[in-house]
Amino acid sequence: MSDTQPETLPRSLIEHLLAVALERGGEHAELFFEQRLSHALRLQEGRIHEAGVSVTRGVGIRVRVGDQQGYGYSDDLSQGSLERAARVAGKIARGGHILHAVSVNERPVENMYIEGEWSDRVAMGRRVDLLLRADAAARRSDARVRAVNGNLADEVQDVLIANSDGLLVRDRRPLVALSVQVVAERNGERTQGYFGDGGRRGFEFYDRVTPEWIAGEAARIAVVNLEAVEAPAGELPVVVGPGGGGVLLHEAVGHGLESDFNRQGVSLYSGRIGERVASELVTIYDDGNLPGERGSIAVDDEGTPGQHKILVEHGMLRGYMQDNINAELMHTHSTGSGRRQSFRYLPQPRMTNTYMPAGDLQPDEVIKRVKRGFYAKSFSGGQVEISKGDFVFMVGEGYLIEDGRLTAPVKGATLIGNGPEIMTRVSAVGSDMKLANGSYTCGKGGQLVPVGVGLPTLLISSMTVGGSRVG
Amino acid sequence: MSAEPLELAHRAVALATGAGAKEAEATLIVSDTFSAEARGEQITKLQQSVGRSLTLRAFVDGRKATLATTDLSPEGTAALVERCVEAARSVERDPLGGLPEPEPVAAADLHIFEPDVRARSEDEKLADALAMEREMRAYDARIDNSNGSRVADAVTSVALVNSLGFEGSYTCSSVSLSASPVARDGAEKRTAHYGASRRGYGAMPAASEIARIAARRAVEMCGARKPRTAILPVIFERDVAAVLLGDLFAACSGANVAIENSFLAGRVGERIGSGLVTIVDDGLLPAGMGSSPFDAEGVPTRKTVVFERGVLRSFLFDSYHARKLGAKSTGNASGGTVGPNNFYLQPGSGSLEDLIARTPRGILVYDIIGFATEHVTGTWSRGASGFMVEDGRIVYPVDGFTIAGNLRDMLATLDDVAGDIVYESPIVSPSFRVAEMTVSGT
Repeated sequence: MSDTQPETLPRSLIEHLLAVALERGGEHAELFFEQRLSHALRLQEGRIHEAGVSVTRGVGIRVRVGDQQGYGYSDDLSQGSLERAARVAGKIARGGHILHAVSVNERPVENMYIEGEWSDRVAMGRRVDLLLRADAAARRSDARVRAVNGNLADEVQDVLIANSDGLLVRDRRPLVALSVQVVAERNGERTQGYFGDGGRRGFEFYDRVTPEWIAGEAARIAVVNLEAVEAPAGELPVVVGPGGGGVLLHEAVGHGLESDFNRQGVSLYSGRIGERVASELVTIYDDGNLPGERGSIAVDDEGTPGQHKILVEHGMLRGYMQDNINAELMHTHSTGSGRRQSFRYLPQPRMTNTYMPAGDLQPDEVIKRVKRGFYAKSFSGGQVEISKGDFVFMVGEGYLIEDGRLTAPVKGATLIGNGPEIMTRVSAVGSDMKLANGSYTCGKGGQLVPVGVGLPTLLISSMTVGGSRVG
Repeated sequence: MSAEPLELAHRAVALATGAGAKEAEATLIVSDTFSAEARGEQITKLQQSVGRSLTLRAFVDGRKATLATTDLSPEGTAALVERCVEAARSVERDPLGGLPEPEPVAAADLHIFEPDVRARSEDEKLADALAMEREMRAYDARIDNSNGSRVADAVTSVALVNSLGFEGSYTCSSVSLSASPVARDGAEKRTAHYGASRRGYGAMPAASEIARIAARRAVEMCGARKPRTAILPVIFERDVAAVLLGDLFAACSGANVAIENSFLAGRVGERIGSGLVTIVDDGLLPAGMGSSPFDAEGVPTRKTVVFERGVLRSFLFDSYHARKLGAKSTGNASGGTVGPNNFYLQPGSGSLEDLIARTPRGILVYDIIGFATEHVTGTWSRGASGFMVEDGRIVYPVDGFTIAGNLRDMLATLDDVAGDIVYESPIVSPSFRVAEMTVSGT
């Protein structure tokens, strides 16, 4: 294999495989070819500890009949092995022997990635330099920094998607991410800080967002946490900080608006388009078209261009995130939301970059409204149960709010709430909308995909803070 | 298993040493997988494939690089192995880096391969998935929807070769059935998920039984409310207890201990837990879901006592972290780091119902969400749902709350253990009770 050009499948073979997949009477066949070259470098104890190279290459073939899907994949690109995958996929249709002629035509894809120093052209020495700079910066920033661990991961993924409607598209997707974990120590007590950033970019990303800054943030959080008090327990007003606070939208609302859950009637938002589902201050977008952002895609993994979607507008539910099969069954169009972890998986409707546009209050005005409450500056993760809408967030950096001001840092807080309930309690929105720095990865049905989030400062009038300090 | 995987592994090792690696190790995994999902009266997903992957670890003077690839073509593999060896040169030299000395692997049959996984017909597997859907709906009229019922199995062959002369291979199988009902609770929906995993179909509980347990769990949660914030004893049902044990495993992993990313670092020999805390990792447990004759670097697996009646006895190691901390590998190498074989808390006595009956007042946790664990400090909290327990009986369902504490305190105050362990995953636990934790609700 060469460094920059993917191997490819001849068009005649693609057409043949789609026809084989439909032999037993399937309605729709699709082929997904992927070749991904990834690099990873790990920093531990002040030195480069380990390097990794990984290649994911293979073909997945899907056949649809109504709401039934058959799937087979092969990492062996010989014709015989690919035909076997096509036949396995076709088994979902239990009809007789039918011959379809399939012809596909390549359609250009609007390139939305920024040309630059993409991963496949970067020398290992460049990666080493970035990690050592991060290490030095974290150690320089504070004498209490005891350990620095870092991960640099980057890839270029080439995909080819073809289907029995005649579609054939290719996409070439760059991705970089640097994350740093810092352990700080004082009088034998240790705390940690974590920070990461990246995007669908090349290494020129790190000229703007430097490893020194990323490592400095991780060190700052670790040191702040040395002073942290136990989190309070009980219901409190909660202010969510800009940027990374967007995990709130992703969990509290986003997953519930994915079309598979809604078509199947298992989401609490099923059948509620046009209804009020949130305070009128709440507007939520999902946008796959933001250049360079981690969740962006020129086309999704079914070949549909990424789009800007209005999910909630002034509190009214406007639309779901659709992939092909659910859109067809719901008599609408794909919103470019069909994504998959790799060729080994069926696509699912997924988020891309999910965010809320800015409101009109200065961020400190939002905080001033709270007499006693909790400020969640960033989240380290979250999870939601989409039928009832209960979710949790793990706070990465949090503070007490006392008399309208941030005071003591707080450690170990988990916030718990119910999506629809929390969304009706949004009572103030700041003017400081920001897409998060971060390297967020979303898991659904055992599949991981990179996503982005964004949020302005937000006040939620009451939410359960799950700390250990009662009263 | 055919000679081919071993042959491919040998070839990759030869390519690596040819490219300049001083030592190399190659693992070839071939996995034949089947999965089906049913919803309502229909099979909605049917998947079947053979996946192959090669993992290579190359050492150039103690500098380590790894390669993972699904491209097994001769040209592809050759170019990638070269790229991997080249990448190793960017790594700093680590005098402790390198392969373990080969040790003989015992020939005992671990019962990790069951031929019925291959023998069972596709129609029978699909019938199980459909039966679970029917059974859930028949259990209670409030169950009128589902997130699907699944049947999945796999036969996996592993071949491992290294440049120090180790060569080994084995084949194992696995089966899992699971059901995810959705129950109507007034205007709200309640979900549950329940499943079972075994090495073969013969040892599986009946599909109908799995469906009934899943259905009962969804229906029982109807009408749940938020509890009041309080400090209470907490009973962890066995599946939830296993999640907690997973966090404890991370704290016992030599990889975390070596970088002091564990609240247990430096505490071997100390009393950490109550007398009920005996935790072992056993790679040789017959039919265990985490059993295998040797670990990911060819070291024979074994049984290691991690906690003995509350006293921390040993961490778990691969060969690198063992060298680093002056210990011996415990046969826990996995995926380039340290992983569990069969890591479990020694069961006590009685069923979960018996444990509830022994609890005057507390909260029974049936489900948790989130993953907030700080391994450095042991700080632990999760979103939870379950039941209030009074006078040894379940009184009403509760949800929308969190439980929080510190792993160290939780181990120290673990004061009752049931006997309901089922070895269906590499990390399992019986249900147990912790004397007090913060329950955060209204």
